[in-house]
Amino acid sequence: MVQLMVGKEKGKEDRYMPVIIDARGLACPQPVIMAKKAIEENEQIIVQVDNDIAVENIRRLALKMACGFSVTEKEGGIREVALVRTGAIDETIEGRSFSAQEDELACAVVSGRETGPLVVVLSDNHMGRGNDVLGDILIRSFVHTLLQLKPLPDTVICYNAGVKLAVKDSAVIDDLQQLAKDGVDILVCGTCVNYFEIGDQVAAGHISNMYDIAETMAGAGRLLRP
Amino acid sequence: MEGQRYVVFLFLSVSYALKAEKILKAAGIVHKLIPVPRHISSDCGVCLRITEDRQQSVEGELRGKVEWDKAVLL
Repeated sequence: MVQLMVGKEKGKEDRYMPVIIDARGLACPQPVIMAKKAIEENEQIIVQVDNDIAVENIRRLALKMACGFSVTEKEGGIREVALVRTGAIDETIEGRSFSAQEDELACAVVSGRETGPLVVVLSDNHMGRGNDVLGDILIRSFVHTLLQLKPLPDTVICYNAGVKLAVKDSAVIDDLQQLAKDGVDILVCGTCVNYFEIGDQVAAGHISNMYDIAETMAGAGRLLRP
Repeated sequence: MEGQRYVVFLFLSVSYALKAEKILKAAGIVHKLIPVPRHISSDCGVCLRITEDRQQSVEGELRGKVEWDKAVLL
């Protein structure tokens, strides 16, 4: 009789025991995909991971899926991430739906921090080829949108006609100045401003040389060239 | 500039936005051409952003010259 009671209690506890997912040693986006699948099927899970990217991605997953989230540091750099479902799974939050593509994007953004600086190269004052009127609109939109990138670029390099974006009457000068204020290093090619004779009009970033430009580009984790 | 509110003027085409920009430039009204904010539209479009206090004068300049779709307070 007593044994039966114990057995029953134990069984009851089991239902509330979190399912443990071993995602150690796996690279992004594998841990978050495993976590998503598991939390869809279980009330509570614990995901074992060994890197910050995975923790960050699972934290975002928890936000999306309205789950409780906590992290416990274990020995050897292992983190146990606990997720508890607190409400019905709602794929849309504030009318937005989250896609697998967005998860991948999150991966790229988060992991970018680990792979080296993000460098944006403005090699022209137009974006793309074909039509310069359109190219002018596009580059203005692009530079403005850089302000909203998370994380922000580490460095923006302007060379060739791209230096014209950094002069005082440029349509994006306010954006470049804001980027500089937000800590983005803006390198403006000295040879180029000299060639265009606009050295006295540069109003964002600092005049730089090919050594810094080449070194920065060579050391980039990712290089964006619109 | 902190706390400054903006209004964006949306147009039915990019060429309307450009035409409107030329008009504002000629009128000396400070403005900025920016991508249409994501929460307004997912189209790859551009719009004209101005500070809220300039909305009346912008409407005055554009009226009769270029049609706009709507003006949205950000």
